[in-house]
Amino acid sequence: MSDAAQLLADLEVFEREAIAAFERARTAEELEAARVEFVGQRRGKFRQLEERFRALPPDGKRQCGRRFNECRQRVRAALESARARLAQPQAKAEPRAAAFDFTAPSLRIRRGTVHPLTQTIEELIDVFGRLGFRLADGPEVEDEWHNFEALNIPPEHPARDPNDNFYIDGQRLLRSQTSTVQIRVMEKQPPPVRIIAIGRVYRPDVHDATHFSMFHQIEGLYVDRHVTLAHLKTVLRQFAQAFLGPEVQIRFRPSFFPFTEPSVEVDMSWDVRGGQWVELGGAGMVDPNVFRAVGYDPEQYSGFAFGLGVERLCMRRHGINDIRLFFENDVRFLRQF
Amino acid sequence: MIVSWEWLRQYVDLPVSLEELCERLTAAGFNHEGTEQVGDDFAIEFEITSNRPDCLGHIGLAREAAAVTGGTLRIPEPSPVQSGPPCGELTSVEVECPDLCPRYVGRVIRGVRVGPSPEWLKRRLATCGISSINNVVDVTNYVLLEASQPLHAFDFDKLVDRRIIVRRAKKGERIVAINQRTYVLTPDMCVIADGLRPVAIAGVMGGLETEISESTTTVLIESAQFDPLSVRKTSRALGLSSPSSFRFERGVDPAGVDWASRRCCELILDLAGGELAEGWVGLNPTIPPRPTIRLRLDQIERILGIRVPRERVVEILRRLQLDVTEEEHAVVAVPPTWRADLSREIDLIEEVGRIEGYDRVSEEEPIPATCTPLEPEQRILRRIRAALVSLGFHEAYTQSFVDRRTLELLRPWTGEEPLAVQHASRRQENCLRQSLIPSLLLARRLNEHRGNEDVNLYELARVYLPVAGGGLPEEPLMLGVVTDLPLGRAKEAFEAILDWLRVSERPCYEHATLPGLVEGQAAQIRFGERVAGVLGVVDDRVRDVLDLRQACAVLELRVGVLSEMANLVPHYRPFSAFPAVSRDFSFIVDEEVSWEQVESLVRSEAGQLLEDVRLKEVYRGKPVPPGRKSVHFRIVFRSHDRTLTGDEVDAIQSRIVTRMQEVLGAQLRA
Repeated sequence: MSDAAQLLADLEVFEREAIAAFERARTAEELEAARVEFVGQRRGKFRQLEERFRALPPDGKRQCGRRFNECRQRVRAALESARARLAQPQAKAEPRAAAFDFTAPSLRIRRGTVHPLTQTIEELIDVFGRLGFRLADGPEVEDEWHNFEALNIPPEHPARDPNDNFYIDGQRLLRSQTSTVQIRVMEKQPPPVRIIAIGRVYRPDVHDATHFSMFHQIEGLYVDRHVTLAHLKTVLRQFAQAFLGPEVQIRFRPSFFPFTEPSVEVDMSWDVRGGQWVELGGAGMVDPNVFRAVGYDPEQYSGFAFGLGVERLCMRRHGINDIRLFFENDVRFLRQF
Repeated sequence: MIVSWEWLRQYVDLPVSLEELCERLTAAGFNHEGTEQVGDDFAIEFEITSNRPDCLGHIGLAREAAAVTGGTLRIPEPSPVQSGPPCGELTSVEVECPDLCPRYVGRVIRGVRVGPSPEWLKRRLATCGISSINNVVDVTNYVLLEASQPLHAFDFDKLVDRRIIVRRAKKGERIVAINQRTYVLTPDMCVIADGLRPVAIAGVMGGLETEISESTTTVLIESAQFDPLSVRKTSRALGLSSPSSFRFERGVDPAGVDWASRRCCELILDLAGGELAEGWVGLNPTIPPRPTIRLRLDQIERILGIRVPRERVVEILRRLQLDVTEEEHAVVAVPPTWRADLSREIDLIEEVGRIEGYDRVSEEEPIPATCTPLEPEQRILRRIRAALVSLGFHEAYTQSFVDRRTLELLRPWTGEEPLAVQHASRRQENCLRQSLIPSLLLARRLNEHRGNEDVNLYELARVYLPVAGGGLPEEPLMLGVVTDLPLGRAKEAFEAILDWLRVSERPCYEHATLPGLVEGQAAQIRFGERVAGVLGVVDDRVRDVLDLRQACAVLELRVGVLSEMANLVPHYRPFSAFPAVSRDFSFIVDEEVSWEQVESLVRSEAGQLLEDVRLKEVYRGKPVPPGRKSVHFRIVFRSHDRTLTGDEVDAIQSRIVTRMQEVLGAQLRA
């Protein structure tokens, strides 16, 4: 191999090693050492290659000249870029910050909760509010007039049996239904009336997974001229779809309640149950006797009323299988909502 | 009511399948609850609402089935052969209390052979869930299930004096019923007696001594109508109910009393032989005329929202066996004797609706829009909840009842005798609560016992405060809070609520002696004269009684007062564009000096330029001498119209330092 050919091969190796050494350098000191080794003025490897180039005959110089200059430029460029790299702050030779462990649990501020029954009640107020129903209120301890008499439940009616109610004395009892609020509202204001009432009601049921002696009802009442059963069906259908989902359907089954006529049970079909009908609550057109009790003219006005169990809606909504959980207040239950 | 499919079809030709019939009856108000195969037959269960006692028998449901399918009815007309002597010669029936027993038909059959029933009868009863006893008793049960008219058969020869007296029970009279239990009767109960003693509790159950046995040869068949309320009261008082009392409580068809008696005798003659005495004894007055009801055709649409053509209205009412005549804009209908529930126009509208079908009723009716504002109280409640949720409190729902001892532990609102319910199921927890705190403490205990942590609870519910004169109680809505956080944190929670409600008036805390709370750690909270609530630490006695391990701070507030103080729509007030100057102070003061004293002194000295005064820290211990404390606070000054100079603020500052020394004996710390 001629001297020129040997030099070309050595230039190749030099260039590769020098560039690699500069790129490898992590500190200014490392870079300086590499610089001295490869391109140092006195003992650098390039210095030796330069001497060998100078010693070549003219045609050897011609043969290697371009490559020689090219090699020098590339190595210089690599040195400059390494210097620039090390001049940037993040490249400083400090120990690297430990990586953040994103999987470690946060020291979270423990949020409190709103009871699932409240959440359901708020939703009901909201949905019926959008349908134009105002929230009304009445006492839980009631007299017989509002709990029975005015609701067309005469003294001999079985619903008044002391075994089926929480009487305080002969005149006062805990309301067994929120329908009492209908009477209180109609006594106070002339028609039209469009209200809901939500609250605690009491019946002496033995406690089990689906019964509790205290529970919540939502009562709705709409009285005006020309209110029909079709308005009732529309309102309940819209409610069911808004509350439970657009696929829910409702149907009416004839039933019997003293304070409405016609009376219906309202069923809903919920996709989860595969087309089965589930009871939603009771409803009907306000009985003319109820209108007479509050001084409304049943020839002028008609209206509907409905009553739904809040716990049942809430249990279906959240998949709760035991009504007693609502009133036990174990925080492991409450925290889930 | 369980119906035998085979039996039902004896009375009506059904052009539809069993499934189809169940669907149609459900749509007409008789909810199909299930079908079970029993041998070759089907037992079909329907729910019968309390206004339709006529459908507590096969014939009643057959009538409905005919009405909803258009099938033809076949109701038998019983005419048993009367080959015996006149009934009045054999016995007598005296009704002393027609108010409790308006109808009583007695018939006598001599020479019956009591024995097992034929297979067909046993099978039908079995389908309906009734076990066979003997042919005579089985026939009475059969007719009950056929016509919904209860019957009773007496062993005639065991009746003292062979006579029947329907009367009120005498005080202390006893009877052993066929369930072999002894019942003590009271004078408001109606009994069937013989010449000596009661032999049946009217409408509820027969007596053991006169029941049919294998040796019985002569029977007296009772078919009657008893006052529903009287039967119900008797049944409840004795804790004894039966298929008979169930039907009498709801009412029987007055025209069915004699029909059922004849039907029963006819079947007994068929199955047990014997000779029926001629005629009957008892009381069976003419049935009062049924009401004539006018149904204006336009009222159907006014109530149901569907139009039903006149011909269809007439057809429906006739199928339900009403006697219908037509007028120009109305129909006039007279209901049959078994439909006591029909007396008004609205009753007929319902009949038309339920047979026509509510699936025809639109669910796309336009509802007139009306915009209702959210009730102010709802807004208040939402903010209270938001405040407490942000602080980690969980909302609880506790029962309105507590036992008396728990109620009396802690009740800041009243000392009145609590209201209590009278019900056998609530002997202990029978009081209507007067504070939410005891119930919430019980909820805490449950959580403590289950090893739960962070049990900070709140509840928004009513308490029941009796009023003078025994009227309806006051039912104020309360917010109750219980927490194991220190008292200071409980107070912070209260103030966070005030902040959420934008209450600008400052609450006044007044040390109060309240039963159940630690003296010195309990305060009444007032806004001016209005008492808003109480705040304090539960004392050891309450914790002992309730078995609570951890210390507990409690807060109870009247939501009504908070509502009055709240300002949910604050008005904008311009703020200064100039910088604030703040100065920090540390004073050593006596323990007795309250923060309120310090703050009001600062406020009165600082004047118009004061923007805020904030307590930063209270320090006790070295180098502060015992009995004194170091109070560190910051005062912020700001002007509305200029930048304050250091000299201005220095002047106020030195006034404050001087007055603190003079008035409160405070010593400025270096």
